[in-house]
Amino acid sequence: MAFMKRIRHLWVLVLLFSFGPNLGTCVAASAVNDLVVFAAASTTNALGEIGTLYEARGMGHVTFSFASSSTLAKQIESGAPADVFLSADVPWMTYLEDKKKVAPENRQELLGNRIVLVVPADSPVKAVEIEPGFSLSNVLGKEGRLSMGDPEHVPAGKYGRKALEQMGVWDQVKDRLAPMKDVRAALVMVERGEAPLGLVYATDAAISQKVRVVGIFPSDSHSPIVYPVAAVSGGKMEAAKPFLTFLKGSEARAIFLKYGFDVR
Amino acid sequence: MGVWHLTAVELEALKLSLWVSAWAVAVSLPAGVLTAWVLARGRFAGKHFLDGLVHLPLVLPPVVIGYLLLVLMGRNGVIGALLYEYLGIVVAFNWKGAALAAAVMAFPLMVRAVRLALESVDQGLEAAARTLGAGPWRVFFTITLPLIVPGIITGAILAFARSLGEFGATITFVSNIAGQTQTLPLALYTLTQVPDGEAAALRLCVLSVLIAMAALIFSEQVSRRFTRRLRGEQ
Repeated sequence: MAFMKRIRHLWVLVLLFSFGPNLGTCVAASAVNDLVVFAAASTTNALGEIGTLYEARGMGHVTFSFASSSTLAKQIESGAPADVFLSADVPWMTYLEDKKKVAPENRQELLGNRIVLVVPADSPVKAVEIEPGFSLSNVLGKEGRLSMGDPEHVPAGKYGRKALEQMGVWDQVKDRLAPMKDVRAALVMVERGEAPLGLVYATDAAISQKVRVVGIFPSDSHSPIVYPVAAVSGGKMEAAKPFLTFLKGSEARAIFLKYGFDVR
Repeated sequence: MGVWHLTAVELEALKLSLWVSAWAVAVSLPAGVLTAWVLARGRFAGKHFLDGLVHLPLVLPPVVIGYLLLVLMGRNGVIGALLYEYLGIVVAFNWKGAALAAAVMAFPLMVRAVRLALESVDQGLEAAARTLGAGPWRVFFTITLPLIVPGIITGAILAFARSLGEFGATITFVSNIAGQTQTLPLALYTLTQVPDGEAAALRLCVLSVLIAMAALIFSEQVSRRFTRRLRGEQ
């Protein structure tokens, strides 16, 4: 009998595991205005604030998933339940368009950004003159590394590499990189002083008290940094529309500007 | 060049993984045996605390371990700064850091295996040796140690396999530098992040599965053989 009892307890567990999460999503997804937004990690703070405002206006509940644009694009391609996608670069949005996950008429350019050089707040370095052939080795010292998003796949890293190549200094630093898995991880390395120099977005530098901007790359030294946004095909297209309009509105613009973005 | 031909970068990642894992096991083995012995035989106040501490890497998110390592062992970390100042050792952004991260993550597996072996040792044998006049060190090296060899081998190989798979702590602590810290899982991750990397990623997946399976089967075989020998079955 004790054995039977144990079996019965197991059933409860099995039931919980199989239905629990579903019950949760049923409740969460009940309202038609509720949205799931997949957005690039660099927009975390700004979008969080905008989401709160959107909810406070009674327009609907927004759930965010922040990660690198590449990760999110792959998840959406595999059928993740996203209604809106905000990418930190154009190629990943085009990738989803090619996979028929985003319709061309549903995407638009939302934000712009800049690439900047940062140092730890207590660094003796005052400013780095960014001009063709400028030297980074004196800032990096003998064994310091340049912390940046992995130029293989992180958008911030790809722009950074382009800008360094344009200035003719990529060969100086290409073996002195600390390629991080996203731009926020690159920022942390500079904040903690593990890397004497970092290459991040102006927006990342703006939210951190522990780093100082010592140089801004000219916006023509790399392809324009554009954040496209789109409603995802197969998601709640109708509910996504007011949210996309809200992102373009003056209230949202003010928040984006506060966090260092260019608004388009 | 066939689909199964490894590129230079992948081959480098494979070699680096084996190197890093071998060092992780070599460095943590003595500490692992000592910790297991303390946990199996010791009677002291903070035992439960030590037990919990040793097992933390098994239950904490690897990113947390990576971040703690960065804070403690980085160039400006509490311990890392001292290491650099007095011994000139830097573990940030190089293979030594990757080995350290792998060793920490694999430590609980090693300790568990050795501890299990220690607890199954007949303590009567040790007591007999003591009554015949052997000192505690002699007892450990001539009685206890030979009896727990299967456990040590199992622990070492499990730790080796776990080290090969280490990802989260490594990428957080020492970044993703080709030839220095880009081990197999990190190379695989990079490939999944680029639009045309699927075939290469799949190749590395299969390779990882093969290595892990080989390690597990090898460990099982070796520990069985030693157990049989200990029982005198040859």
